[in-house]
Amino acid sequence: MFRLIVFAMLLSTGLAAVGGVLAIGQASSSRSQSTARQEGWRKEFDDICSKTQDAMTVSKEELTVLISRCDALKPKLEKLDETRKKVYLERLRMCRGLYAYVLESKEKNDK
Amino acid sequence: MHMCWSPKKRTTSERECFSLVLLGAVFFLTTSGWAQIYLPQPPPEQAADYGKVIIGNASSATGPGPVVFDHWLHRAKFTCRLCHVDIGFAMQANASGITATTNREGFHCGACHDGKRVIGGKVVFASCSNESSSNNCNRCHSLGKKDVRKYTYRAFTAKLPKGYYGIDWTAAENQRKIKPINFLEGISVKRTPMQTRPDFSIKATMPWVHPIIFSHEAHAIWNGCELCHPEIFPTAPKETVRDSMFLNIEGRYCGACHGKVAYPLNSCIQCHPRGPIWAR
Repeated sequence: MFRLIVFAMLLSTGLAAVGGVLAIGQASSSRSQSTARQEGWRKEFDDICSKTQDAMTVSKEELTVLISRCDALKPKLEKLDETRKKVYLERLRMCRGLYAYVLESKEKNDK
Repeated sequence: MHMCWSPKKRTTSERECFSLVLLGAVFFLTTSGWAQIYLPQPPPEQAADYGKVIIGNASSATGPGPVVFDHWLHRAKFTCRLCHVDIGFAMQANASGITATTNREGFHCGACHDGKRVIGGKVVFASCSNESSSNNCNRCHSLGKKDVRKYTYRAFTAKLPKGYYGIDWTAAENQRKIKPINFLEGISVKRTPMQTRPDFSIKATMPWVHPIIFSHEAHAIWNGCELCHPEIFPTAPKETVRDSMFLNIEGRYCGACHGKVAYPLNSCIQCHPRGPIWAR
Protein backbone atom coordinates (compact mmCIF):
# COMPACT_ATOMS: atom_id res chain seq x y z
CA MET A 1 0.00 0.00 0.00
CA PHE A 2 2.80 2.38 1.00
CA ARG A 3 4.63 1.65 -2.25
CA LEU A 4 1.46 2.42 -4.18
CA ILE A 5 1.08 5.81 -2.47
CA VAL A 6 4.73 6.70 -3.09
CA PHE A 7 4.39 5.62 -6.73
CA ALA A 8 1.21 7.74 -7.15
CA MET A 9 2.93 10.77 -5.59
CA LEU A 10 5.99 10.41 -7.81
CA LEU A 11 3.80 9.97 -10.87
CA SER A 12 1.72 13.07 -10.12
CA THR A 13 4.87 15.13 -9.38
CA GLY A 14 6.41 13.97 -12.65
CA LEU A 15 3.28 14.79 -14.64
CA ALA A 16 3.05 18.21 -13.01
CA ALA A 17 6.69 18.90 -13.86
CA VAL A 18 6.19 17.86 -17.50
CA GLY A 19 3.01 19.98 -17.70
CA GLY A 20 4.84 22.95 -16.18
CA VAL A 21 7.72 22.71 -18.61
CA LEU A 22 5.30 22.48 -21.53
CA ALA A 23 3.27 25.45 -20.26
CA ILE A 24 6.39 27.60 -19.76
CA GLY A 25 7.62 26.55 -23.18
CA GLN A 26 4.32 27.53 -24.78
CA ALA A 27 4.24 30.89 -23.02
CA SER A 28 7.80 31.59 -23.98
CA SER A 29 7.11 30.53 -27.55
CA SER A 30 4.03 32.77 -27.67
CA ARG A 31 6.08 35.65 -26.28
CA SER A 32 8.82 35.15 -28.83
CA GLN A 33 6.23 34.94 -31.62
CA SER A 34 4.71 38.20 -30.42
CA THR A 35 8.16 39.83 -30.25
CA ALA A 36 8.96 38.51 -33.72
CA ARG A 37 5.68 39.93 -35.03
CA GLN A 38 6.47 43.26 -33.35
CA GLU A 39 9.99 43.26 -34.71
CA GLY A 40 8.54 42.41 -38.10
CA TRP A 41 6.44 45.55 -38.43
CA ARG A 42 9.16 47.72 -36.93
CA LYS A 43 11.77 46.38 -39.31
CA GLU A 44 9.44 46.96 -42.25
CA PHE A 45 8.63 50.46 -40.99
CA ASP A 46 12.30 51.35 -40.55
CA ASP A 47 13.19 49.94 -43.93
CA ILE A 48 10.43 51.81 -45.77
CA CYS A 49 11.03 55.14 -44.05
CA SER A 50 14.83 55.00 -44.26
CA LYS A 51 14.77 56.47 -47.74
CA THR A 52 13.05 59.76 -47.01
CA GLN A 53 16.24 61.82 -47.02
CA ASP A 54 17.21 60.85 -50.54
CA ALA A 55 13.72 60.36 -51.92
CA MET A 56 14.53 62.64 -54.85
CA THR A 57 17.15 60.17 -56.09
CA VAL A 58 14.80 57.18 -55.89
CA SER A 59 13.30 56.04 -59.20
CA LYS A 60 9.59 56.36 -59.93
CA GLU A 61 9.23 52.57 -59.91
CA GLU A 62 10.89 52.30 -56.53
CA LEU A 63 8.73 55.10 -55.16
CA THR A 64 5.62 53.26 -56.32
CA VAL A 65 6.83 50.13 -54.52
CA LEU A 66 7.55 52.13 -51.35
CA ILE A 67 4.05 53.64 -51.41
CA SER A 68 2.52 50.16 -51.82
CA ARG A 69 4.60 48.90 -48.91
CA CYS A 70 3.31 51.81 -46.79
CA ASP A 71 -0.25 50.86 -47.68
CA ALA A 72 0.41 47.21 -46.84
CA LEU A 73 1.95 48.11 -43.49
CA LYS A 74 -0.89 50.39 -42.38
CA PRO A 75 -3.36 47.62 -41.40
CA LYS A 76 -0.63 45.99 -39.30
CA LEU A 77 0.01 49.24 -37.44
CA GLU A 78 -3.72 49.63 -36.85
CA LYS A 79 -3.64 46.44 -34.81
CA LEU A 80 -1.01 47.77 -32.39
CA ASP A 81 -1.82 49.09 -28.93
CA GLU A 82 -3.24 52.61 -28.73
CA THR A 83 0.03 54.43 -28.10
CA ARG A 84 2.07 52.72 -30.81
CA LYS A 85 -0.83 52.93 -33.23
CA LYS A 86 -1.12 56.68 -32.68
CA VAL A 87 2.59 57.36 -33.07
CA TYR A 88 3.49 55.00 -35.90
CA LEU A 89 0.43 55.67 -38.04
CA GLU A 90 1.28 59.37 -37.96
CA ARG A 91 4.90 58.68 -38.83
CA LEU A 92 3.87 56.36 -41.65
CA ARG A 93 1.47 58.99 -42.98
CA MET A 94 4.30 61.52 -43.26
CA CYS A 95 6.62 59.00 -44.82
CA ARG A 96 4.07 57.90 -47.42
CA GLY A 97 3.08 61.50 -48.07
CA LEU A 98 6.65 62.41 -48.98
CA TYR A 99 7.05 59.50 -51.39
CA ALA A 100 3.74 60.35 -53.06
CA TYR A 101 4.82 64.00 -53.29
CA VAL A 102 8.17 63.14 -54.89
CA LEU A 103 6.52 60.72 -57.31
CA GLU A 104 3.97 63.35 -58.32
CA SER A 105 6.73 65.95 -58.78
CA LYS A 106 8.73 63.59 -60.96
CA GLU A 107 5.69 62.75 -63.07
CA LYS A 108 4.95 66.46 -63.53
CA ASN A 109 8.54 67.14 -64.55
CA ASP A 110 8.39 64.38 -67.13
CA LYS A 111 5.35 65.94 -68.84
CA MET B 1 -29.72 117.63 -50.24
CA HIS B 2 -26.50 117.81 -52.07
CA MET B 3 -24.24 114.81 -51.39
CA CYS B 4 -20.68 114.87 -52.51
CA TRP B 5 -20.75 111.18 -53.60
CA SER B 6 -23.85 111.63 -55.71
CA PRO B 7 -23.61 109.55 -58.94
CA LYS B 8 -24.76 112.52 -61.04
CA LYS B 9 -22.33 114.50 -63.15
CA ARG B 10 -19.84 115.87 -60.66
CA THR B 11 -18.36 119.31 -60.35
CA THR B 12 -14.72 119.86 -59.50
CA SER B 13 -15.50 120.36 -55.80
CA GLU B 14 -17.56 117.17 -55.78
CA ARG B 15 -14.70 115.26 -57.33
CA GLU B 16 -12.32 116.62 -54.70
CA CYS B 17 -14.81 115.63 -52.00
CA PHE B 18 -15.13 112.15 -53.48
CA SER B 19 -11.37 111.75 -53.63
CA LEU B 20 -11.06 112.83 -50.02
CA VAL B 21 -13.68 110.30 -48.90
CA LEU B 22 -11.94 107.58 -50.92
CA LEU B 23 -8.56 108.54 -49.50
CA GLY B 24 -10.03 108.55 -45.99
CA ALA B 25 -11.52 105.10 -46.52
CA VAL B 26 -8.23 103.72 -47.83
CA PHE B 27 -6.34 105.26 -44.92
CA PHE B 28 -8.85 103.85 -42.42
CA LEU B 29 -8.71 100.37 -43.91
CA THR B 30 -4.93 100.43 -44.11
CA THR B 31 -4.43 101.49 -40.54
CA SER B 32 -7.15 99.48 -38.86
CA GLY B 33 -8.81 96.16 -39.66
CA TRP B 34 -7.21 95.49 -43.02
CA ALA B 35 -3.78 96.16 -41.66
CA GLN B 36 -4.40 93.93 -38.69
CA ILE B 37 -5.30 91.09 -40.98
CA TYR B 38 -2.74 91.54 -43.72
CA LEU B 39 0.35 92.88 -42.01
CA PRO B 40 2.62 90.55 -40.05
CA GLN B 41 1.81 90.84 -36.38
CA PRO B 42 4.82 91.80 -34.31
CA PRO B 43 6.22 88.94 -32.26
CA PRO B 44 5.74 88.95 -28.47
CA GLU B 45 7.63 91.67 -26.63
CA GLN B 46 9.53 89.05 -24.65
CA ALA B 47 11.46 86.70 -26.92
CA ALA B 48 11.05 84.07 -24.19
CA ASP B 49 7.37 83.87 -25.09
CA TYR B 50 8.00 83.28 -28.78
CA GLY B 51 7.16 79.72 -29.77
CA LYS B 52 5.58 79.00 -26.43
CA VAL B 53 2.99 76.24 -26.71
CA ILE B 54 0.33 75.56 -24.11
CA ILE B 55 -0.65 71.92 -24.10
CA GLY B 56 -3.62 71.09 -21.98
CA ASN B 57 -5.92 68.57 -23.57
CA ALA B 58 -5.39 65.69 -21.19
CA SER B 59 -4.02 67.28 -18.05
CA SER B 60 -6.16 70.33 -17.38
CA ALA B 61 -9.42 69.09 -15.97
CA THR B 62 -8.34 66.63 -13.33
CA GLY B 63 -4.58 66.54 -13.36
CA PRO B 64 -1.71 68.89 -12.69
CA GLY B 65 -2.79 71.53 -15.22
CA PRO B 66 -1.59 72.56 -18.69
CA VAL B 67 1.98 72.09 -19.88
CA VAL B 68 4.02 75.06 -21.02
CA PHE B 69 6.37 73.96 -23.76
CA ASP B 70 9.22 76.30 -24.60
CA HIS B 71 10.58 75.91 -28.10
CA TRP B 72 13.75 77.88 -27.27
CA LEU B 73 14.81 75.31 -24.69
CA HIS B 74 14.25 72.30 -26.92
CA ARG B 75 15.39 73.65 -30.26
CA ALA B 76 18.80 74.35 -28.75
CA LYS B 77 19.18 70.61 -28.27
CA PHE B 78 17.20 68.91 -31.03
CA THR B 79 16.43 69.46 -34.69
CA CYS B 80 12.82 70.26 -35.61
CA ARG B 81 12.81 67.01 -37.59
CA LEU B 82 13.65 64.81 -34.63
CA CYS B 83 10.58 65.93 -32.66
CA HIS B 84 8.10 66.55 -35.44
CA VAL B 85 8.99 63.56 -37.63
CA ASP B 86 10.71 60.87 -35.58
CA ILE B 87 8.82 61.39 -32.34
CA GLY B 88 5.69 62.43 -34.17
CA PHE B 89 4.70 65.71 -32.51
CA ALA B 90 2.06 67.49 -34.57
CA MET B 91 2.64 71.05 -35.73
CA GLN B 92 -0.43 72.28 -33.85
CA ALA B 93 -0.85 72.37 -30.09
CA ASN B 94 -3.01 69.60 -28.64
CA ALA B 95 -3.05 67.66 -31.90
CA SER B 96 -0.51 64.96 -30.99
CA GLY B 97 -2.62 63.14 -28.43
CA ILE B 98 0.06 63.32 -25.74
CA THR B 99 -1.03 61.64 -22.51
CA ALA B 100 0.73 60.50 -19.35
CA THR B 101 0.42 56.94 -20.71
CA THR B 102 2.13 57.70 -24.02
CA ASN B 103 4.90 59.46 -22.12
CA ARG B 104 5.34 56.58 -19.68
CA GLU B 105 5.51 54.13 -22.55
CA GLY B 106 8.46 56.02 -24.01
CA PHE B 107 6.70 58.02 -26.70
CA HIS B 108 6.07 61.75 -27.16
CA CYS B 109 7.81 63.60 -24.27
CA GLY B 110 8.79 60.22 -22.83
CA ALA B 111 10.95 59.51 -25.87
CA CYS B 112 13.63 61.60 -24.14
CA HIS B 113 12.14 62.25 -20.71
CA ASP B 114 12.41 58.68 -19.49
CA GLY B 115 14.74 59.10 -16.54
CA LYS B 116 17.45 57.11 -18.35
CA ARG B 117 18.43 58.87 -21.53
CA VAL B 118 21.56 61.00 -21.25
CA ILE B 119 21.58 64.18 -23.31
CA GLY B 120 24.35 66.73 -23.00
CA GLY B 121 25.91 64.72 -20.18
CA LYS B 122 22.77 64.83 -18.04
CA VAL B 123 20.09 62.23 -17.38
CA VAL B 124 16.80 63.61 -18.67
CA PHE B 125 14.16 63.51 -15.95
CA ALA B 126 11.25 61.12 -16.44
CA SER B 127 7.96 62.63 -17.56
CA CYS B 128 4.71 61.60 -15.89
CA SER B 129 6.52 58.98 -13.86
CA ASN B 130 4.59 57.50 -10.94
CA GLU B 131 7.67 58.08 -8.86
CA SER B 132 7.93 61.75 -9.80
CA SER B 133 7.67 64.30 -7.07
CA SER B 134 5.22 67.14 -7.58
CA ASN B 135 8.22 69.39 -8.27
CA ASN B 136 9.01 67.33 -11.34
CA CYS B 137 5.39 67.48 -12.51
CA ASN B 138 5.48 71.25 -12.19
CA ARG B 139 8.54 71.58 -14.37
CA CYS B 140 6.31 70.89 -17.36
CA HIS B 141 2.81 71.47 -15.97
CA SER B 142 3.74 75.01 -15.13
CA LEU B 143 1.03 77.28 -16.52
CA GLY B 144 0.33 79.99 -13.95
CA LYS B 145 2.88 78.62 -11.49
CA LYS B 146 5.83 80.72 -10.39
CA ASP B 147 9.45 79.64 -9.95
CA VAL B 148 8.85 76.04 -10.95
CA ARG B 149 10.89 76.00 -14.15
CA LYS B 150 14.51 74.97 -13.97
CA TYR B 151 15.72 77.08 -16.88
CA THR B 152 15.08 80.75 -17.54
CA TYR B 153 15.31 82.19 -21.04
CA ARG B 154 17.78 84.87 -20.06
CA ALA B 155 20.25 82.52 -18.36
CA PHE B 156 19.88 79.75 -20.92
CA THR B 157 20.41 81.95 -23.95
CA ALA B 158 22.99 84.30 -22.44
CA LYS B 159 25.87 82.91 -24.52
CA LEU B 160 23.91 82.41 -27.73
CA PRO B 161 24.21 84.92 -30.57
CA LYS B 162 21.32 87.35 -30.77
CA GLY B 163 19.55 88.14 -34.00
CA TYR B 164 17.07 90.67 -35.26
CA TYR B 165 14.63 89.19 -32.78
CA GLY B 166 15.63 86.77 -30.05
CA ILE B 167 18.28 84.17 -30.77
CA ASP B 168 19.95 83.78 -34.15
CA TRP B 169 19.67 79.99 -34.21
CA THR B 170 21.47 79.56 -37.53
CA ALA B 171 24.43 81.56 -36.24
CA ALA B 172 24.33 79.59 -32.99
CA GLU B 173 24.67 76.37 -34.93
CA ASN B 174 27.31 77.73 -37.30
CA GLN B 175 29.35 78.92 -34.32
CA ARG B 176 28.94 75.49 -32.70
CA LYS B 177 27.24 77.03 -29.69
CA ILE B 178 24.49 74.46 -30.15
CA LYS B 179 24.65 70.98 -31.66
CA PRO B 180 21.07 69.87 -32.21
CA ILE B 181 20.62 66.10 -31.98
CA ASN B 182 19.04 64.54 -35.06
CA PHE B 183 18.92 60.87 -34.08
CA LEU B 184 17.39 59.13 -31.08
CA GLU B 185 18.32 55.50 -30.50
CA GLY B 186 15.25 53.27 -30.45
CA ILE B 187 13.04 55.97 -31.96
CA SER B 188 14.68 57.32 -35.11
CA VAL B 189 15.02 55.40 -38.32
CA LYS B 190 18.57 54.94 -39.64
CA ARG B 191 18.45 56.88 -42.87
CA THR B 192 20.70 57.20 -45.83
CA PRO B 193 22.64 60.48 -45.77
CA MET B 194 20.74 63.50 -46.98
CA GLN B 195 21.10 64.51 -50.59
CA THR B 196 21.32 68.27 -50.37
CA ARG B 197 19.24 70.22 -52.81
CA PRO B 198 20.59 73.43 -54.31
CA ASP B 199 19.46 76.79 -52.99
CA PHE B 200 17.14 78.74 -55.26
CA SER B 201 15.56 82.14 -55.51
CA ILE B 202 11.85 82.78 -55.33
CA LYS B 203 10.45 85.79 -57.13
CA ALA B 204 8.67 88.07 -54.68
CA THR B 205 4.99 88.66 -55.41
CA MET B 206 5.44 92.38 -54.66
CA PRO B 207 7.35 94.09 -57.50
CA TRP B 208 9.26 96.41 -55.16
CA VAL B 209 11.02 93.62 -53.27
CA HIS B 210 14.07 91.67 -54.36
CA PRO B 211 13.70 87.89 -54.64
CA ILE B 212 13.95 85.55 -51.68
CA ILE B 213 17.07 83.43 -51.51
CA PHE B 214 15.78 80.14 -50.19
CA SER B 215 18.34 77.85 -48.65
CA HIS B 216 17.02 74.37 -49.26
CA GLU B 217 20.04 72.95 -47.46
CA ALA B 218 19.57 74.95 -44.26
CA HIS B 219 15.90 74.08 -44.14
CA ALA B 220 16.39 70.42 -44.96
CA ILE B 221 19.07 69.91 -42.30
CA TRP B 222 16.76 71.16 -39.57
CA ASN B 223 13.47 69.86 -40.90
CA GLY B 224 14.17 66.87 -43.09
CA CYS B 225 11.96 66.57 -46.16
CA GLU B 226 8.68 65.18 -44.87
CA LEU B 227 8.05 67.98 -42.40
CA CYS B 228 7.54 70.45 -45.27
CA HIS B 229 6.44 68.16 -48.11
CA PRO B 230 3.68 67.61 -48.94
CA GLU B 231 1.72 69.04 -46.02
CA ILE B 232 3.05 72.60 -45.98
CA PHE B 233 4.36 72.76 -49.54
CA PRO B 234 2.33 70.42 -51.75
CA THR B 235 3.03 70.05 -55.44
CA ALA B 236 1.46 72.89 -57.37
CA PRO B 237 1.47 74.17 -60.96
CA LYS B 238 4.37 76.53 -61.58
CA GLU B 239 2.09 79.55 -62.01
CA THR B 240 0.49 79.09 -58.59
CA VAL B 241 1.23 81.97 -56.24
CA ARG B 242 1.76 80.24 -52.96
CA ASP B 243 4.51 82.20 -51.35
CA SER B 244 2.69 85.50 -50.98
CA MET B 245 3.05 87.34 -47.70
CA PHE B 246 -0.72 87.27 -47.29
CA LEU B 247 -0.70 83.48 -47.20
CA ASN B 248 2.33 83.45 -44.92
CA ILE B 249 0.55 85.77 -42.50
CA GLU B 250 -2.38 83.37 -42.49
CA GLY B 251 0.04 80.72 -41.22
CA ARG B 252 0.39 78.86 -44.47
CA TYR B 253 3.58 78.00 -46.39
CA CYS B 254 6.56 79.83 -44.81
CA GLY B 255 4.13 81.09 -42.15
CA ALA B 256 3.69 77.56 -40.82
CA CYS B 257 6.95 78.12 -38.92
CA HIS B 258 7.99 81.73 -39.52
CA GLY B 259 5.89 83.90 -37.28
CA LYS B 260 5.35 81.10 -34.78
CA VAL B 261 8.69 79.48 -33.98
CA ALA B 262 11.26 80.35 -36.63
CA TYR B 263 12.22 84.03 -36.95
CA PRO B 264 9.18 86.30 -37.37
CA LEU B 265 7.71 87.38 -40.68
CA ASN B 266 8.50 91.02 -40.07
CA SER B 267 12.24 90.24 -40.05
CA CYS B 268 12.06 91.10 -43.78
CA ILE B 269 15.79 91.15 -44.41
CA GLN B 270 16.22 87.52 -43.33
CA CYS B 271 14.31 86.22 -46.36
CA HIS B 272 14.77 89.21 -48.66
CA PRO B 273 18.46 89.90 -48.01
CA ARG B 274 18.62 92.60 -50.67
CA GLY B 275 15.56 94.32 -49.29
CA PRO B 276 13.35 96.60 -51.42
CA ILE B 277 14.52 97.52 -54.91
CA TRP B 278 15.36 101.10 -53.94
CA ALA B 279 17.72 99.98 -51.18
CA ARG B 280 20.36 98.45 -53.50
